Amino acid sequence: MNSDGLILVVEDSEEDTEAIQRALSRSHPSLQVEFAPRSDAVVPRLLDPSARMPDLVLLDLNMPGTNGLTLLSDLRGHAECASLTVIVFTSSTSSAEEDACYAAGADSYIYKPVNFELFQTVLRGAVDFWIAQRTDGRSAAG
Amino acid sequence: MVDDAWSSALHRLWQASSRAEEVEALADDVYAPLLATPGVHVVVGTRWDEKQVLRYTRVLSDGSDAPVIVTAPRTVPAAAVREPGDDPVVIRSAVAGLDDAVWPEAEFLRQTPPGTSVVACTFRLDRRGWATLGAAVDASADVPAVERRLMQAADVIVACRTGILQRGREARRGADDALLAEASLQMDSSLDVVDTLRRVARIAVPAVADGCLVHLLRSEGPEFVAATHVAVQQQRALEAAGRDDPWLAALLARRGEDEDPLFLSGAALDGSPFAADAATAGDGRHPTVVSISTLHARGRVVGSITFVYQRPEARLPDSAFLRSLATRAALAIDNALLYELRRNAVLSLQEHLLPSRLPVTDQWDLSASYEVGDPMLDVGGDFYDAVPRPDGSIALLIGDVCGRGAEAAALTGLARHTLRTLLEEGTDAGTALIRLNRALRQERASRFLTAVVTTLTPQADGTALVSTCSAGHPAPLVLRGDGTVSEVLCDGLLLGVLDDVSYESHEDRLAPDDTLVLFTDGLTESREADGTFFESVLPQRLAALRGLDAAHIAESLARQAKGFRASGQDDIALLVARWTGVPPGTGPLPHALRLERAAL
Repeated sequence: MNSDGLILVVEDSEEDTEAIQRALSRSHPSLQVEFAPRSDAVVPRLLDPSARMPDLVLLDLNMPGTNGLTLLSDLRGHAECASLTVIVFTSSTSSAEEDACYAAGADSYIYKPVNFELFQTVLRGAVDFWIAQRTDGRSAAG
Repeated sequence: MVDDAWSSALHRLWQASSRAEEVEALADDVYAPLLATPGVHVVVGTRWDEKQVLRYTRVLSDGSDAPVIVTAPRTVPAAAVREPGDDPVVIRSAVAGLDDAVWPEAEFLRQTPPGTSVVACTFRLDRRGWATLGAAVDASADVPAVERRLMQAADVIVACRTGILQRGREARRGADDALLAEASLQMDSSLDVVDTLRRVARIAVPAVADGCLVHLLRSEGPEFVAATHVAVQQQRALEAAGRDDPWLAALLARRGEDEDPLFLSGAALDGSPFAADAATAGDGRHPTVVSISTLHARGRVVGSITFVYQRPEARLPDSAFLRSLATRAALAIDNALLYELRRNAVLSLQEHLLPSRLPVTDQWDLSASYEVGDPMLDVGGDFYDAVPRPDGSIALLIGDVCGRGAEAAALTGLARHTLRTLLEEGTDAGTALIRLNRALRQERASRFLTAVVTTLTPQADGTALVSTCSAGHPAPLVLRGDGTVSEVLCDGLLLGVLDDVSYESHEDRLAPDDTLVLFTDGLTESREADGTFFESVLPQRLAALRGLDAAHIAESLARQAKGFRASGQDDIALLVARWTGVPPGTGPLPHALRLERAAL
C-alpha cells in the first residue's frame, strides 16, 4: 500500500526493530517509520506540539523502565492521545494479557511470530487494516 | 553513441528489475533514457486494473526534471478497446487524433508542438492488469527505433512484474508454512479445548484474515468458543455474532461434511452480520469476504472456523492452505476433547472406587485424602475405607493394586468391597486378608496388591486398642500428642502371589489426641530432584502437624508430598484417625454405628 502515513514503533529490542524496519520497508515503502527505543520518552514525544502525531503506534509490551501496558494506560490518560490507534505487538498468546491490553485501551492485540516471512505477513495485515480504516475515516469526514 | 547509451540504460534496467518490489520502482530507469531518444518530447505510462480502472499515470516531459504522477484511481470504460491480449500491441497515431475517452493520457501528449505523433506499446502486466508505455515524437524521430525501445522496456517491465509475483508467491508460501508450523506448535502446547481454540483464532489474525470465529460442534448444534479480530470493537461484534446471530447459526448448522472451505461475498452475505461491511465497501475499501472451513477429525465433524476478510482478493488464502490449517486445528481440538473425556472418566471412576463418606463418630476424628498423580495415566489402584464393626470398633483399611487401568480398577473394587464386607460382619483383620488373598488366587488375578487393615477399639480406660495386620504395605505411623512419631510394627506377605498366607496381628495403644496415619507408597516415594524420598522427611513433617485435626493432617501431608516431588506420578492416598478419648458407653452412639447396630 502506498501511503504517506507515519507509524511510531515503541520497541527496545534491536533485533525486532531491525525486523520491523525491514518488513515495513518491503510492504509499505512509503510509510514513514519512527522508532522509540525508550518507553519513557513516548508520552513527551506524543505531546510535543511541534512533532507530527503518528497515524499508528506499534507497541511492544516487554520494555525496560515503563512497560508497554503502563505506557498504554498513561498515554490514554491524555486527551491528545485518545484517538491514537495503538497496536500491541507481542509474542504472548495469553488471553489474560490480551484482556488487560484491551482494558488499557489497545485497538489491536497482534501475535508476534518468530519466522520473518510470517512476521512480515502479520505486520502487513495489521498496518493495511488500520491505514484503510484511517482512509475511510477521512473519507467519511470529508 | 546513442545506441550505446540505450544499451547501457537497458542493462541498468534489467539489473534494477531483479531487485524491485514494485514495477513503479523501475520508472527512473525507464522514462529518462526513453526521453533521451532523439525526437522524443514526452514519455507517458499508464497502469490499468481489470474493469478499466486507471490506477497510475506517470508523465516525463523534456525540459522538466520531475515527473507528473497521478495515483487517484478512475474508471475509463471506453479504454476496454485498448486492453491487450497476450501479445503487446504497438500503435502510431497523430496526437491530435487520439480520443480522450479512450486515451486519458492524451491531455499530457497534447502539450507538445503541433504535428507530434504518439508511439505507444500496450502490454499485459499479469493476469488482471495491463499497461501502456508511450512516447510523443516529432518528425525527426526514428519511429521504428522508438517502437523497438518501447517494446524492449515493456519486456523488462513484464519480466519485473513476473519476478515480483513469483517472489510474492514464494514469500507467501514461506509465511503459510511458518503459520502452519506455528499453529501446530501453539495448539500442541495445550490440552484444554477452549484454550486450544483461542490460540487458533489468535495466531490466524491478521496473518490469514482480519477476523476469525471458532465453533465446536456439540450434539445440540454449533457452540461458539472464540473470536478474534484485528480491531477490538469488531472483535466484540464478532463475539456477539458468534454467540447469537441466527444467520450464522443456520449457516453453520447447514454445513455438512464438505472438505473444501465455502467462500461467501456480495449478495451471499445479505442478512448476515457481515453485510453492513459489504454495503459500505467502496473506493479504496475492500468488500468483505467470509470463508467457512469445517473441522474434521477421525471421520467426524468437530467444529468450524469462520474467517472474515477485508483485504484485496489477491491476499485471500487459497483452499489448500485453509484445508491444511483446518486439519491441524481439528486434530488439536479432537485431542483436547478426548483428553477432557478421558480425564472426566478417570476422575469419575476413581471417585466410585473410594467411599463417598467416612463414618462420623464422637470417638474418632476421621479424614482421608486422595491425590490423582496424573489423570492421563488412567485410573490408579489405591483404595481406602473406614468400616464400623458390630462390636463398636472401627476398621481402617488402605491398599494399593499394582499398576493402573481397567484391570487395576477392577481389582481395586474387588479388594475394597471384599475387605469391607468381611470387616463389617466382624471378621478379624488377619482372616479378612486371607479371604481376600483366596479370592484373588481363585480369580487368577494377574496383579498383586498390598494392604493394611487396622481395627480401632475404644477401651474403658480412655485409650484405644490398635490391632494391625499388614500384607506387604508401608507401615502406618502414629503421631503422639507430645509430637513424637513412631511406626506401627507389622509385616506380612503381599496379596495375590501365594495360595497359603497368614497374617499376624500387632497391637498398640493410642492415648487421647494420638493420631494414626495410614498411607500408600505414592506418599513415601515422592522424590525430590536430588533423589531424596519424602519417606525420609515424613516423620519430621508429621511431627510438625501435632495438635491439628485429621482433615488438616491428611490434606497437609498430601500437599507437601506433591510440592516435594520432582519425579513420580503415583497417586497418593492417606487415611487419618485421631483418637478423641471418648470411652465406650458414654453419650449417644455415633450415627453410623447406631445404624449398624439397628440393622443387626
